[in-house]
Amino acid sequence: MNYAKKSGDSYILAASMGLIISLAMVGWIVVVILIKGLGFFWPRDTYFVQTNDGSSYLGESWAEKSDEIQIQSGERVKRKQYQLKIGNRDVYGRDFVWLDAKDIEAENRPQLATTFERLEFGNFYGFIKVVHSGDKQFDSEHPDFLDEAYNAHDLALDTKGEIEDTRGEITSLTEPLTNLQREIALLEISAESRTTAGQQKLEVLRKTAEETELNIAEEYQALNKKLEELLLKDHAIYLTVETAEGKSREIHLSHVVRFFQPNDMGVLAKSWHYAGKLWEFVADDPRESNTEGGVFPAIFGTVLMVLLMSIAVVPFGVMAAIYLNEYAKQGPLVRFIRLSVNNLAGVPSIVFGVFGLGFFIYVIGASIDQILFSDKLPEPTFGTGGILWASLTLALLTLPVVVVATEEGLLAVPRANKEGALALGSTRWQMIRKVVLPNAMPGILTGLILAISRGAGEVAPLMITGVVKLAPTMPLDAAFPFLHLDRKFMHLGFHIYDVGFQSPNVEAAKPMVYSTALLLIVLVILLNIVAIYFRNRLRKRYKTSTF
Amino acid sequence: MQSTEKKNKSRRKREPQDHQNTHYEKVYRSDRIARYFITAGGYGIIVSILAIMLFLIYQSLPLAGGASITEMFSVKLGNDYPKVLLTGIDSYNEIFYNIDENGNVRFYKTADQETVLKEKIVLLDGEKIVSASKGSLTEDIIALGTNQGRLITAEIEMTPRYSEEGREIIPSFGIEETWQAPAENDSIPLRFEKLVFRQNEDLYRFWSWVDQYGNAGIRIFDADEDEEYTHQLSMEVGDAQISAMSISYNGENYVFATTDGQMFWFDGVDFEELVLKEKWTASGAGITAVNYLLGDQAVVVGSADGEVATWFPVRTTANIFKFQKIHEFRAHKAEVTQIFSSPRNRNFLTIDKSGRAQLHYSTSGKTQASFKSAENPVTAGSFAPKSNALLVMDDQRNFGMFGLDNEHPESTINTLFGKVWYEGYSEPEFVWQSTGGTDEFEPKISLIPVIFGTLKGTLYAMLFSIPIAILAAIYVSQFAPAWLARSIKPTVEIMAALPSVVIGFLAGLYFSPIFEDHLITILMINFWLPVVFVIGIVLWRIIPEEKRTKFPQGWEILYMIPILVLTIALSWWFAKPIETMFFEGNFQQWLYATIGVTYETRNSLVVGFALGFAVIPIIFTMSEDSISNVPESLSSASLALGASRWQTVRRVVLPAASGGIFAAIMLGLGRAVGETMIVLMATGNTPILDINPFNGFRAMSASIAVEIPEAPVGGTLYRVLFLTALLLFLFTFVLNTLSSLIGDRLRKKYARF
Repeated sequence: MNYAKKSGDSYILAASMGLIISLAMVGWIVVVILIKGLGFFWPRDTYFVQTNDGSSYLGESWAEKSDEIQIQSGERVKRKQYQLKIGNRDVYGRDFVWLDAKDIEAENRPQLATTFERLEFGNFYGFIKVVHSGDKQFDSEHPDFLDEAYNAHDLALDTKGEIEDTRGEITSLTEPLTNLQREIALLEISAESRTTAGQQKLEVLRKTAEETELNIAEEYQALNKKLEELLLKDHAIYLTVETAEGKSREIHLSHVVRFFQPNDMGVLAKSWHYAGKLWEFVADDPRESNTEGGVFPAIFGTVLMVLLMSIAVVPFGVMAAIYLNEYAKQGPLVRFIRLSVNNLAGVPSIVFGVFGLGFFIYVIGASIDQILFSDKLPEPTFGTGGILWASLTLALLTLPVVVVATEEGLLAVPRANKEGALALGSTRWQMIRKVVLPNAMPGILTGLILAISRGAGEVAPLMITGVVKLAPTMPLDAAFPFLHLDRKFMHLGFHIYDVGFQSPNVEAAKPMVYSTALLLIVLVILLNIVAIYFRNRLRKRYKTSTF
Repeated sequence: MQSTEKKNKSRRKREPQDHQNTHYEKVYRSDRIARYFITAGGYGIIVSILAIMLFLIYQSLPLAGGASITEMFSVKLGNDYPKVLLTGIDSYNEIFYNIDENGNVRFYKTADQETVLKEKIVLLDGEKIVSASKGSLTEDIIALGTNQGRLITAEIEMTPRYSEEGREIIPSFGIEETWQAPAENDSIPLRFEKLVFRQNEDLYRFWSWVDQYGNAGIRIFDADEDEEYTHQLSMEVGDAQISAMSISYNGENYVFATTDGQMFWFDGVDFEELVLKEKWTASGAGITAVNYLLGDQAVVVGSADGEVATWFPVRTTANIFKFQKIHEFRAHKAEVTQIFSSPRNRNFLTIDKSGRAQLHYSTSGKTQASFKSAENPVTAGSFAPKSNALLVMDDQRNFGMFGLDNEHPESTINTLFGKVWYEGYSEPEFVWQSTGGTDEFEPKISLIPVIFGTLKGTLYAMLFSIPIAILAAIYVSQFAPAWLARSIKPTVEIMAALPSVVIGFLAGLYFSPIFEDHLITILMINFWLPVVFVIGIVLWRIIPEEKRTKFPQGWEILYMIPILVLTIALSWWFAKPIETMFFEGNFQQWLYATIGVTYETRNSLVVGFALGFAVIPIIFTMSEDSISNVPESLSSASLALGASRWQTVRRVVLPAASGGIFAAIMLGLGRAVGETMIVLMATGNTPILDINPFNGFRAMSASIAVEIPEAPVGGTLYRVLFLTALLLFLFTFVLNTLSSLIGDRLRKKYARF
């Protein structure tokens, strides 16, 4: 016993418990996100379920739970329930049902059950009965029935593309006329119209407008006719489908993103489908208030914001670190600066957000508006949240990360190298440029990567400095001046918060959130691993150096 | 090295001698420029942190500012000018008007006091206007009572018109209706000695008056049904002489005050019959003025001895409402004659017989300013529609306009940090409810609930994280095999890098349902873990020593895995039976039924656990560093003296590293306090004062994140949120400074080993 007390084995075991729990927590979170994030894109089988009250359901099995409930007699009975995603929001008004296991009479996986991913109202589950493609009709007896359905879908999508093109043509055709009309309308309500000069100008404008209208009339009518034809053609391409309870409905194929028969798909087909969905997730725009489709704008916004942030933070951070290590006399001032850096690192991110909002947006941004964009006021240009202010706020937030990592890199440069350079007659700046900076590069890179990883994952300060749930335009596009620093943007982290907590249909949006979370985590972890690798190399580098 | 030399040589060759000086100049210049830039960069850091702090202070400082009143102008209208009964101004403070006893309605420019428009109300022979009242705080609808029993209701409009020259206010005056009160006896018409008029949002109108006989009358006009009701109140009031009265702005409540200090409260919801709800004595002296404040709850009562107090109905234990005195304000030296309510907030102005005016704020109970508004008794006055100016007219025809600069009357030390008795509450409370649905909402800006929320979240997070992080740090730095220690650090760094929005999302949507479904299991882990652990230790001891020591050092960790698994399994197995046996099958219901605790899905337990993901890596990394940095010589000496591994750790290493561990905890604390997304997503964000772990809270950081985007810039809420941010900043600043000072001292202490 004495030995036991002395050796303290039990304490050591207890200490190891702390580690196990921490590791278990990390493991738990990573596994959950991996499974839920990656599993979402796998096509799920559809079940056809009939219950003893005569209703039938078709949908994906999502969850099951068992609990105990009190029945009327006061007895407690076990209950098992399945959650079925029945989709068809436009038919049932809800996406999910919970079914009691004891109520289920029959259950099977019909080969022909089809899942439709639609542009609106979420998924539709049903059976294709008839394919209508223009004048042609194919019913389920037809040998190439399914192929025809896919062909019809392709045709519908092509037609839709043509419709959009035609609409674009019409807009660009009528653009000069619309501009003229707007000018006339503005002139009519202005004070200028009361003068004779104004009246003359108005007259001229009206005349030009009339002429323009005459000039384009023919082309306009032709285009309009084409559009009408296309719309008719699009309207004629649809499927007649049957829901689980046998109700017949029409689905216009131009509103369908894709459809498939999961119960009939092999592993290969499912994998192909999976890859397609994954690609859609990364490369497409979101649909249905962000709960479907992709997150491309969010990825783009995150990357651009982080880039802008890096441009701001790296020079500043590196300069500060060089000052601390190479220029400043070690003394109370340097101690104070180091303390400031440490403190800056500990300041809550929301405080940076508040500062960004109050200072960057309402003080600097508002002043810029006063000076440069006074014609647009009171509509703010820079005096409201935007990608520039968000990046600057995050630059301030990540400044300590860059300073600390750069300092580590600078410290790793051997004294002998620096003194050698100085002894050879170089100025301090030459020494820094030629000797210190190249050798400290891994440190600077580490700082940059850590800053990017921090910036990519931070949400709170962005929420109040320019992130939005859905940005109508990208901050970088083909319109002059290409980079629009005043625009609001989307962000992966905010996307998670918004879709998971602000969306009207959280249950249906959840899988999307898991996938976004997975994407964000993978991004952040990859960045961190790279940073850790650089740092370790830096630390090793001069351990074995011959200097 | 050689190649550099060659380069230098070749460069020197290429440059002719006379250019050498310019070359050096260039080099030196760039050196100088670089020095300036880099020094600027270094100072930039200090500037940044000071800028943040100073900006936060600068933005929250106006909260402490009081009201300042400046006289804008005062005009003597002359003794032959008729007595003015009513005055008002447009919302841009450009045009003000007077209505006098002869029925003149005159509009003046504030800039030069020039007359803009003059209208005249047609009065009968010998008829004079003797009383007047404004019908609303926001609309300019007025009522005038004459000595011939006529009640004239009129509207004053101030329409802004925009043209190229700028804004122009077009005033207009129009009579809406005239009503003749039936005379008591045929020869002497009724004289409206006192008059109060209201028009509510549905355009219902309410008049209340006292005639020359001291009788109180009420007339109600129902705009929907186009019907009228009149009432006499003398029966209920009895012998007492009514000296003041007021009607709430929605027309539902009437208060009457008497010369002997009594108050009567009538409910006017039923137009057919007014119901006396309460009668009480509000003042020892006679009451001389009463007025409802914005929000229709609080009534200001001014008495003959100069006392000013606010009263509002409070729900009593018997579940009926009774008026209670809420605040007493700084008293006047003379009889209070006038009370004006601000149309914007809970400000009100009281004026006494000597013309001295005092500005008070009802929520805070503070008298903000006291100034001489006139040299004589005041006959008319008004707040400007934006509550940024005051108009006062005395009975010697002196007209004065005062600018009122009172940005944040609702913020005082007491309203921010103390208990405040808000309208509709039964006692003073700490409440955070910064915005409401209507303009009449009384902002409640006590920071105590959000500070409490932050501390509550931090407490549960630290209770969970500190033991785990420190135990793990001790194990990894002292006992773990090298390969394990090497791979743990990057893992923990990755844990630290997990974006908090991901943790928050999991906490809100994944962990909280699990916690709710398996609450008993989770609570029982705390019981089973020690039990299973002790059993595990006993079994460990049973293994013969020689075999046990063969177990490679540091591999104890593998032995812990089955213990943890068994603990969870046991807790899970026993959860159902225990819930059925002790908690009637449903713990959450039992909690509510027996101790009145509601279980919220997103509660502090979940937050504590989720914050662990953010806090554990910080505490772990820093304590691990400080434990590893304890000089080898110390522990070696201890081991050499025969101490066991654990004894060395406990008696030598841990005391030496304790400062570092403390610093680590401070740093972790700072992170928990400032964390935003996790608390935002994992709690219900209800600002309640309740330490119980089964419900949520609202933290300072979450409060800022949620409310600042909607807060009007420069408004009180905006500044209060800046103050919250400043508090967060200072809190973390102190924690961080403490942490780094301790770290510095520690480094010095062990540098000599």
